[in-house]
Amino acid sequence: MTLAELDKLQADSLMEVANAADAETLEKVRIRYLGRNGVVPAIMKQMKEVAAADRPVFGKNVNQWRKEIETAIAAKGTEVSKAPSNKVLFDCSLPGRWHTPGARHPVSRVIEESAAIFARLGFSVADGPDIENRFNNFTALNTPAHHPSMDESDTFWMGGDQLLRTQTSPVQIRMMTSHKPPVRIITPGRTYRRDTTDATHSANFHQIEGLYVDTEPVSLADLKATLAYYAREMMGSEAGVRFRPHFFPFTEPSVEVDFSCHVCRGQGCRVCKMSGWIEIAGAGMVDPRVYEFVGYDPAKVFGFAFGFGVERIAMIKYGIPDIRWLYENDVRFLAQMR
Amino acid sequence: MKVPISWLNDYIEISDLSVRELADRLTFSGVEVESIDEVGARLDDNFVVGRVVSAVAHENSDHLSVCIVSDGTAEFQVVCGAPNVCAGIMVPFARVGAVIPGGGFKIKRARLRGVDSHGMICSAAELCLAEESDGIMIFDESVCAGTPLRELLPPPETVLDLEITWNRSDCLSIIGIAREFAALLDRPLKLPSVDFVESDAPVDALARIKVEAPDLCPRYTARVLRGVRDGVSPLWMRRRLEMCGVRAISLTVDVTNYVMLETGQPLHAFDLSRLAGQSIFVRRATEGEKIKTLDGIERELNSEMLVIADAERAVAVAGVMGGEESEINREGSEDVLLESALFDAASVKFTASKLGLATESCRRFERGVDPDLADFASRRATALLVEHAGAQVAQGMVDCDSRNFSNTCIELSFERVRQIMGVALSDDEMLRILESLSVYVEERSSERALCVVPSWRLDLTLEADLIEEIARLYGLDKVPSALPRTAAVSTLDDSFFYHRGRCRELLLGLGFTEAMHYSFLSAKELDAFDKRNVSGRAVIPNPVSADYGVLRDSLLPQMAASLGRNASRQVESAALFEIGRVFRRDDQGAIHEDERVALGIMGPRGRAAIDRRRPVTDEEAVLWLKGAVEALTDALHAGELTFKLSEHPAMERGWCADIILNGECIGCVGLLAAALRHHWRMSLPMPLAELRLAPLLSGVDKIAVIEPIPAYPAIKRDVAFISDSSVTHHDVLECIHAAAPEELTKIELFDIFVSKEIGKGRRSLGYTLSFRSTKRTLTDQEVNESFVKIVRTLKEKLKVDIRDS
Repeated sequence: MTLAELDKLQADSLMEVANAADAETLEKVRIRYLGRNGVVPAIMKQMKEVAAADRPVFGKNVNQWRKEIETAIAAKGTEVSKAPSNKVLFDCSLPGRWHTPGARHPVSRVIEESAAIFARLGFSVADGPDIENRFNNFTALNTPAHHPSMDESDTFWMGGDQLLRTQTSPVQIRMMTSHKPPVRIITPGRTYRRDTTDATHSANFHQIEGLYVDTEPVSLADLKATLAYYAREMMGSEAGVRFRPHFFPFTEPSVEVDFSCHVCRGQGCRVCKMSGWIEIAGAGMVDPRVYEFVGYDPAKVFGFAFGFGVERIAMIKYGIPDIRWLYENDVRFLAQMR
Repeated sequence: MKVPISWLNDYIEISDLSVRELADRLTFSGVEVESIDEVGARLDDNFVVGRVVSAVAHENSDHLSVCIVSDGTAEFQVVCGAPNVCAGIMVPFARVGAVIPGGGFKIKRARLRGVDSHGMICSAAELCLAEESDGIMIFDESVCAGTPLRELLPPPETVLDLEITWNRSDCLSIIGIAREFAALLDRPLKLPSVDFVESDAPVDALARIKVEAPDLCPRYTARVLRGVRDGVSPLWMRRRLEMCGVRAISLTVDVTNYVMLETGQPLHAFDLSRLAGQSIFVRRATEGEKIKTLDGIERELNSEMLVIADAERAVAVAGVMGGEESEINREGSEDVLLESALFDAASVKFTASKLGLATESCRRFERGVDPDLADFASRRATALLVEHAGAQVAQGMVDCDSRNFSNTCIELSFERVRQIMGVALSDDEMLRILESLSVYVEERSSERALCVVPSWRLDLTLEADLIEEIARLYGLDKVPSALPRTAAVSTLDDSFFYHRGRCRELLLGLGFTEAMHYSFLSAKELDAFDKRNVSGRAVIPNPVSADYGVLRDSLLPQMAASLGRNASRQVESAALFEIGRVFRRDDQGAIHEDERVALGIMGPRGRAAIDRRRPVTDEEAVLWLKGAVEALTDALHAGELTFKLSEHPAMERGWCADIILNGECIGCVGLLAAALRHHWRMSLPMPLAELRLAPLLSGVDKIAVIEPIPAYPAIKRDVAFISDSSVTHHDVLECIHAAAPEELTKIELFDIFVSKEIGKGRRSLGYTLSFRSTKRTLTDQEVNESFVKIVRTLKEKLKVDIRDS
C-alpha cells in the first residue's frame, strides 16, 4: 500500500464517521476500521510490505489515523446520542405496574387528623365501650331527669341499665372517675341515636369530644383558642370561630361553635346558607354538677369540654353531600379519599 | 316557638330596631332564631271586598259554584270551588289583574268547564293570612263592597321562629322573650292589664275545689265567669294565634290559648254547668278509668296519671288535654270555670308520653312553668273575657295552694366569674347584667354577692348558672382567644389509638381500602352467615327498622355485602378492610364487645393490571388474602402465624382455615360459600377473613433484634419434583428441614403447577434452597453432598418424582 492509498482510506473513513446518522451505523464504522479484524489492524499487519523507506512515515500516519478516527467516533458518538431518535424503546405512557395503596375512610381520616392536631395541644386520645350505662351516659352528665334524650324514641336501650352510647361524653366520665386532674383528652368514637336515616342523619355516627380539666384556672378564652386552633389546622389558616350561647346539661356556660365558612371565607355561599358561618360544635365550661358526680371538688377545678360530629366535619371539608355515602362503601367514592 | 314582632312590641318598645338586629341580639344571647317568616303580604288595588250576589251550582261540576260578585261598581261572573260560598256574604275578591301574594300568579280571565270566570274569591291562605284554610274567607256584614282589602286586613307581619333550649322554659312565652329584650336592651317591660271588676257573688258558693294529690298539683286556682258570650274572637286575636301556629276555635278557648302564649301559663276553661256537683277534684285516675279527650279519642288512664274530675268522672287529663264532655260549647251564654294551676313536671311528661299526646300545655308543664304565675295568668284571661265576652266575674278566686316555694339564693364570687370567662369584667358590670335579668342582689361584699333568682328562672340554681347569664349577656363572642398556658405534655396512655392506626396504615399500604359499616344489621343477614350462636346475639329492642335490628357479632356479612354490591355496580375489583366492634350477649344479659379486622377481595385484585382476563382460581384468591394476613402480622411483629383447615357456615367447604397466632385461634380466612356469592351474581371467588384486633397489636411496640448482615455468600440449589397433591407445602418443608444441615438458611417455593401431562391429583413443585454459613464460605462439594441427601430424603419419604432441569 502506498502513502497515497493510505491518505485516501483515511479521508474515506473520516467521511464515513461524519455521515453516520445514528449510534448503530457509527458502531458499524468503528468495527469496520478499528475492530479486531478491521481495516486499521489489517494495514498494521501489512507493514512489512510497505517500502522500507516509507515505513516510518507510514507507521506514524497509521497511528495518527487511528487516533483521528477514535476522536471522531467519540465526538460523533456524543452527537448521535444527543440527537432525537424516532425509535421508541420505552413507552412511558403505559400504565405502571405496581399495586396502588388503599384509601382511608373519611371518618378515620378526620379522626386521625384531629387526634394529631389536638396532640400538639397536649390532648391524649381516650376510648370507651359502645355499650354504656345510664350513669355514664346521662346521670353523671347532669341530664335532667325528664330530658327527652333518654326516651326510647331517642336512645337505643339494650336491656337493664345498658344502652348504646348517644355521645362519647361517657368516656370523659370514665376518665375523670379514674384519673385526678389535669385530664386533657379527646374521645373519638362511635355513637348511636334513634334517628331515621336521611341525607344528614344517621342512627350510627361518630363524635369527637374533648375535655380539659385542671386545678389551675381554665377559661372560656382558653376554650375559644383551642377550638380556633383546631379550626385553622383542620379547615385552613383563614378559618375563624364564633361562639353563640346555647344549652347543654353538662356545660355551664354552654356555647354553640360556628366555624367561618371555608368555601366562601365568610362571604356567604350555598354551603353556609349565605351566613358565612357553619355550625360545627357544642362546647362550654364543665358544669360543677358533673364534677360532683365524678368525685372532683367543684370549687377547686376548672375545665372545658367540647364535641362535634365526625361525619359532619368530613361532609363539610370534603364536600360530601349525603351522609349515607359514608356507609355505602362504594369504592368509586372511597377511592377518592387517597 | 313563633313570636310575632308586633305582639312582642306590646310589652317592650322595639319598633326602632330592624328585624335583623332583633334576631341577632336573640341568637347571640342564647335564643336561636331558626327563621324569620313573613306572614301576610301587601295586596294591590285589585283586591277588594266583594259581595256575593248569587251563587248557583256549576252545571258540569259537583263542587264548583258559579257566582255573581259585585265590587260596588260592577258585577263579575266568577267560578268558585269553595264549599262555603253562598249568596249574600262579603268576601275578599281578586279582580282580573290582581297578583296573588306568595305564589305570585296573576289573575286572568279563565274558562272553567265551559263557564267564564272573571276573578277569584280568596281564602285566608291565598292572602297569606294563614298557613292553611278550608274555604274562602268571610267578612262580617258591616264592610262595604269595593273597599280595598289593604285597608281592612292587617299589614304584613314578621314572625320569629325560635329554638328554645331545654333549660329556658321561661322563654316559652311572648312575655318571656320580651323580658330577654328588656335585659338585652336595658329597656322597661310593660305587662298587660289584668284589671277587671268583680261581681258580688262569691266564687266559693259557685264552685268547690279539692286537691287530693297535692304532690302532683302544688297549686290549683279557679275563677268563675258567668254569662260568657262565646263566639268568634276578635280578628287581631285570631291572627296572633294563627301566627303562633294555634288554631282559633272560639272566644273562650282562644283566650286561654292566647294567655298561655302570652304568659307561658297553660289554662283550661270548663263549662261549669257540665261539671257534676259544680265541683272539681284533682286526683289520681283510677286504674282503667276512661276519658274522651278533646281530640275525640277515648283514652284509658292508670293510677299514676293525674286527672281533673267532677263529682262523677274525669273531665280533663291534668296539664295535658281537656275532656270532650266539659268542653266549652260555642252556642249561647255560659258559666265558665277557669283553671290556672301548677302541675308536677314529671307527672305531666309521664302521662303525656303514655297517652302519646304532645300539646302546647304539656310542652310547658314538662319543662317547668313559673310557680308564681297562676294568679296573674288567670287574671289576664279573666280581663280579656270580661272585655270581649261580657263575662261577669264571681268574687274572689278559689286557691288551693300547697306550694313549698321560695326564690333560689346563689352566692356569686366575682373572681370566679373572671376566671371562668377569661375576661376582666368589673364587679359592677356583673351585677348590672344580673339585675337587668331581675336577679335581685341581696347582699354584696368586696368578693361576693348574694343573688336572689326570680321565680320564672327555674334553670338558675348554681353559681355556674349565674356565670352563664353574665357571659351570654356580656357577649360570648367578645370573649378573647388565649391558648391554655399549662404544660402541653400529654401524660395519659393512648397507645391503643396509635396501634390501631398502625394496623390501618399497613392495610392501606397492602392495597386495601377502608370500609365502614353500621354496628347493626338485620337478623336475616346474620342468619345467612352464621346461625351457630343466635342466642348470644344482642338484639336491639327498639330498632329504627328491622334492617338494623341486631348488633353485629361478626364483620363478615356486611363486608361480603359491600363487595357484592360493588360487583353488581360494575366495579371490576376491590380489596376492602374494616376495623370495627362486634357484640355478644352473655347468659346474664350483659353485652360484651370486641374489636376486629375484616378483609375481603372481590375480582382479580391480586393480579397485575394487564393480567386480569384469566379466570381467578379459588386457590390464588384465597392465597392473596392469606398473603395479606401474613404481611400484616409480620409487619406488626404479632408473632408466630399458622393456618389450620377448619369449617365455617358461610365459607365454601374445604376452603376455610383458622388463623392461629402464637397458638391461639384469632379468626379465619376462606372463600365465601358459592350460595351466598350468587346473591350478587358473582362468578369469581370472594376471599374473606376476620381477625381479632387485640392479639394482632400485642407486639406493635416490640423492638426488633438486629442480626448482622451476612458476611459470606450463599450457594443456591433448585429442586423440582412431581408429587401427589396430598403432599402439602408444609410436608415438603418439614422433610427438607429434617434432612438439611443448619447451613440451609432459606427454602423458597418458586414454581407450582398442574397439567394434563403430570396427571390428575398430582402437581409439580419447585424450590430454591439457599445454603449459607455465618462463619465461612461454603464449598460446592459440601453443598452438593447436603443437596443430594435432601433430594434422596424427598424421594424416599414423600415419594416424589424428581424432575431433571
